[in-house]
This record gives sequence, structure tokens and C-alpha cells, in this order.
Amino acid sequence: MKSTLELQEQLRTASFALPAALFMAATFALPLAAVAWQSFLSADGAHLSGFAYGKMLSTPLFFLVTATTLQISFGAMCFSLLLAYPTAYFLSRQPPRRRAFLMVFVLVPFWTSILVKSFAFTILLGQSGVVNQLLAAVGLGPIKLLFNRFGVMVGMSHFLVPFMIFPILTSLLKQPPELAKAAAIMGAGKFRIFWKVTLPLSVPGVTAGCLLVFILSLGFYVVPALLGGRKDMMLANLVDFYTREAMVWPVASAIAVVLTTVAVAAALALSRVPGGSSLLAGEDD
Amino acid sequence: MAVNGVAVAFLGFLVLPSLIVVVISFGDSNQIVFPPKGFSFNLFRRLLAEEGWISSAWLSFRVALAASALALVLGVPAAYALSRGRFPGRRWLALFLLSPIMVPHVVIALALYVYFVELGLSNGMLRLVLAHGVATVPFVIVTANAGLRQIDPSLERVARVMGAGRFTVLRKVTLPLLKPAMVAGGLFAFLISFDEVVISLFVARAGYTTLPVKMFSSIQFEVSPVLAAISTMLTALSVAVCILAARLQPNAST
Repeated sequence: MKSTLELQEQLRTASFALPAALFMAATFALPLAAVAWQSFLSADGAHLSGFAYGKMLSTPLFFLVTATTLQISFGAMCFSLLLAYPTAYFLSRQPPRRRAFLMVFVLVPFWTSILVKSFAFTILLGQSGVVNQLLAAVGLGPIKLLFNRFGVMVGMSHFLVPFMIFPILTSLLKQPPELAKAAAIMGAGKFRIFWKVTLPLSVPGVTAGCLLVFILSLGFYVVPALLGGRKDMMLANLVDFYTREAMVWPVASAIAVVLTTVAVAAALALSRVPGGSSLLAGEDD
Repeated sequence: MAVNGVAVAFLGFLVLPSLIVVVISFGDSNQIVFPPKGFSFNLFRRLLAEEGWISSAWLSFRVALAASALALVLGVPAAYALSRGRFPGRRWLALFLLSPIMVPHVVIALALYVYFVELGLSNGMLRLVLAHGVATVPFVIVTANAGLRQIDPSLERVARVMGAGRFTVLRKVTLPLLKPAMVAGGLFAFLISFDEVVISLFVARAGYTTLPVKMFSSIQFEVSPVLAAISTMLTALSVAVCILAARLQPNAST
């Protein structure tokens, strides 16, 4: 008797999620399923065929862009890690009030529009931009910093660094300070404490941050379109090309299927890292 | 120490681009010059005078308002079910509702572009609001979920024991306590929608150019100095949302 009542209560609580579930089914799951379906259609969309995947696999452009995407994503991940770790380490050593203040420097860029940042970098890195003016002042000629791989890397890393700082900072703050103190008492120097205690214990945060940044960078569209050159097209830009310019939707869909598969695989890997699922969803730990 | 210097330099690198744009936007010329020659509101005046910027901003504002309202109406009850319910399949439901976070925006954009064509959905406003809903509902669920976790469930239980019905508890106990998290979630949803480029680029119909879409094509083709003024206003909006959200949730840093 009690259990039926409990079940009723549970179902009633569950029903609160019904509107959101219906909405997501109708405007997210179904459209995605349509894309998957469309990737198996012929060029005119009339009948089922392996046309799109065949076309994708026989086009050198696809492999070129996939290679570019992986290179840029991996590069941006490494670059962001290099920038984020010292920053997170520094932030973790600050007293709480000052840390809260310094976090503004991370949070404001985090919430700034990617278009504002891209525009800022066209001003900073352009042929007669701020950086090149500075270089000219010390007698160095203008360097091409924009519409090439360098521009994409700078723009993407700038966007991604906060996503790397959050998980690393969390894992650094979780370390009990007694560990470092104990190591110091046992005679370890500052560098040795960092190398033997702090760094190994922050590996889960680093792994989580790297995976999160990698997932995010796979889908980049705006930065390669605005700051990159012709050779810096990423998969997202290729999807756009086949959707709105070449208008071969099955091929666009096939590329989207590949892109989603890689992103979801990386997300699943992330959910297995300690603290990773909270980065994706905020669920549990 | 060396690390401190490096870290401070990196923090500077994070805010520098926005700062330079803000400084340029108050410059006294109609070109992009740094350092600017004087101080004026010329670029802001041009922004008001030039065709299309204000109407795009107004469209973005309406879309963001509707999308965040939709996200709150759908997301808050869903977060309640996920955090208070103990029903089978709860984890799968959570995974499903939050999955748009993991899928690249360009894929969502393509999917909705194709889907809306198939459905024959031609209402430009509705297309944008539904599409932005997909991107914002998960964020409201995450924020509301975090808020619900900070509320002591025994408060709700006490109210039930004292004879309050389920909806009375919701109305008198849970929702008032959840208000800060809901406002923060709504603000973030608003900002996400207001800044959204890729999905809007695919889904928007002619005559429904949102501000980010107009900015995107402007940066791509002509780099107008008016962009500096718009960027300054967008940055101010982000800062305002951050400050408001931080005031509402003293315990959460992100």
C-alpha cells in the first residue's frame, strides 16, 4: 500500500520534467534524427543511398579539413593548458577574498561575446594593428598575425582558457594544504613539492579540462571564419559550406554525424574522469 | 615569484582585447585608431544613426527575452523533477535534457535548419526562439539544479508534515527559496541567447537578422568602427549580468 503511494509520488515528481522532455524531443532529438536519416539519402534526397558518406570519403577536402580540425583543436588545447595551469596555480595560492576579485578577470572574458573577442583580435593582430605598431616601434617589420593559423590559435585559446582554468583550479583547491606542509617538513623544496605532490594530484583536473576544451574546440565556427585563412577551415565551416553554399544537405548531414560522434565520444570519456560529469552537466559530482 | 608574474600577464591577456575595444570605442575619429586621439561619443552616435543596428539589437532583445522565459518555464520544473525525484531512469532523463551542451552548435543549427524546412515553419521569430530554447534550457536546468541543492529538503518535508499540499509547498517554500537561482539562470539564458551566432545564422529567415549575425557579417566584410561601440555595449551587458548573478548567488563562483 505504502509503496504504491510512494510510486505515485515519484511519478508526480517525474511529471514535472515532462514539458522539457517533450520540447527537447520535438526540437532537438527529432531534428538530430532527421540529420542522421538525411545523411543516408541520395543527392536529390529521393531515395536511400550511401552517396553522402561515399562523397565525403572520396573528397580530399574532407580529410584535409578533418586533419585541420584535429590539429587546431589539439593545438588550442595544449596552448590553453600552458596558459591556464600557471594562472590556476596562482589563483589557488591567493587568499579567498583576493581570489574572488581576481576571478573577475577570468569570468568577464568567459561571458564576453565571441564576436567581441574576434573583433578585438582583428584590431590587435591586423596588418596595421596594435601589435604590429608596437613591433614597428622597436624596428621590426609587420608580421602576418591574422587570417592564418596563428590568428585562429590565439582567438581560440583566448576563448578556451577559462574552461581550462575552472577544473584545474577546482582540483588544486581540493588538495589539503597539510600535504604540502608535510612534504616541506620532510625537507622538500618548493619545486619538489610542486613536482611530487601538487602536480600529480591535479592530473584529474587537467584531464577534465583538456577533454572539455577539446570537445568545445571541435565545433568552432566563428573564430576560423573570422580570424583564419583559407587553409584554416574547420569541420563546422565545412558543414556550413555544404548546407548554405553547395546546398548538398546529405553531405552536410554526414559530416555533422561524424562531428557529433567524435564530440559525444569525447564527452563520454570526460564523464568518466573524476569531476568531469559536473563540467558537462552539473550532475552529482 | 616568476609564476605570479606569468599568471598576472595571462590574466591581463584575458581582459586586454575587450579593454582595447572599449578604449577605441570612445575615440574621437571615425576610424579604428589605437591609441585613440581624444574622447567622444561619435561612434555611439553613428551606431544610432546607421541603418539596421538598432532594429537588430531590438530583435535580439525580444528573442532573448522570449527564449529565456521559455527556458525558465521548461527548465525549472525539470530541475525540480531531477533533483527531488527518485524515479527510475532519472539519470538517463538528465543526460537527455542536458545533451545539447555536448553537441556542437553547428550540428544543432543544421538539424533545425533542415527540420524547420521540412515542417514548413516559416515564422521567423518562432524559429529563433525555439532554436535558442534548445541552447538555453540545459543551462537553466543546471543553474536551477544547483540552487535546489542548496535548499534544505527538510524545510519542504516540515511543510508537508504540517499539512501543506504539494503545490502549497512549492509556492510558499521551494520557489521563494529558489528565486535567486532562477533569476541567475534566466540572466544567463538571456545572455546566451543574445550572443548566439551560429544557430541564428542558419535558422534566421530574411528580415530576421539578430545583432550577432549582423556583427558577424560586418566583421567578415567591412570591419566598421561602429563595431567598437557595439562591442563596448555588449561587454557592459556581460559585466552587468555577471555582477547581478554574483550578487544573487554568494556561494557559487561560476
